[in-house]
Amino acid sequence: MRGRITSLVVSAAMVMTFGVMTAAAFTKTVTIRVQGMKCEKCSSSVTKALKATDGVEDAQVSSDKGEAVIKYDDAKLNEAKLREVINSTGFKAVDEKGQ
Amino acid sequence: MTLLGILFVAITIAFPPVIRQEAKAPQFDLKDVKGRTVRLSDYQGKVIMINFWATWCPPCRAEMPELVKLQREHRKEGLQIIGITYPPEKKSRVLRFAKSLKVNYPIALGTRELKSRYSSEETLPLTVVIDRDGKVKDIISGILLREEFDEKIKPLLMKRGDTENARSDH
Repeated sequence: MRGRITSLVVSAAMVMTFGVMTAAAFTKTVTIRVQGMKCEKCSSSVTKALKATDGVEDAQVSSDKGEAVIKYDDAKLNEAKLREVINSTGFKAVDEKGQ
Repeated sequence: MTLLGILFVAITIAFPPVIRQEAKAPQFDLKDVKGRTVRLSDYQGKVIMINFWATWCPPCRAEMPELVKLQREHRKEGLQIIGITYPPEKKSRVLRFAKSLKVNYPIALGTRELKSRYSSEETLPLTVVIDRDGKVKDIISGILLREEFDEKIKPLLMKRGDTENARSDH
């Protein structure tokens, strides 16, 4: 009986660890430099477009730093697509400081 | 008493009242880039999108081809877009830009005060959605997404206004 309980606990722990590892493997964070974001009134459109993109989990855009820090699901998106989304808002995604 | 009056006027000027959803849209009377008058009342009975924008605002410029497309596609259903510029703006620059994009809706030269009557938000672009009865239904901050148009504006195009409903009941 004790053996069964132990094996059940071990299995559950393995399933949970695997689940966390899988989620972590899919979530990536990237910093993309955005050119032309001098206008504070306008930069919210970048955040809006990124957050509306399927696979983006979070986006923090700073017009002061001229960059966007994006958390995204690696299985659904890639950096090229993120740059495309930024460019569609009228700004220019220049390059990334990958993390 | 006079002092109180002055104070009231000063507060009203400094903090103009901002409209709420479902409120009647504030009227305006502006000049377009060709010197013609653009009045909100001229478009009574239509679903109106007032788009506040500026030539110096990259997202405003980026969304305009989509607005031109929406105006073309939904004109027959009663959609009317009105572009209103936000200062500082040069008339010649606005005219040149509107021509280059073949903008198919009126572009009027606006003021800070007019935008603040619709919203206290600083964001540009800003799109105010008005239904056929002249009520403000939504204020869309930032670039207009296709999903937002489908969700917030398309249903209004399918609805008839109260005036039309009353007319058809007789």
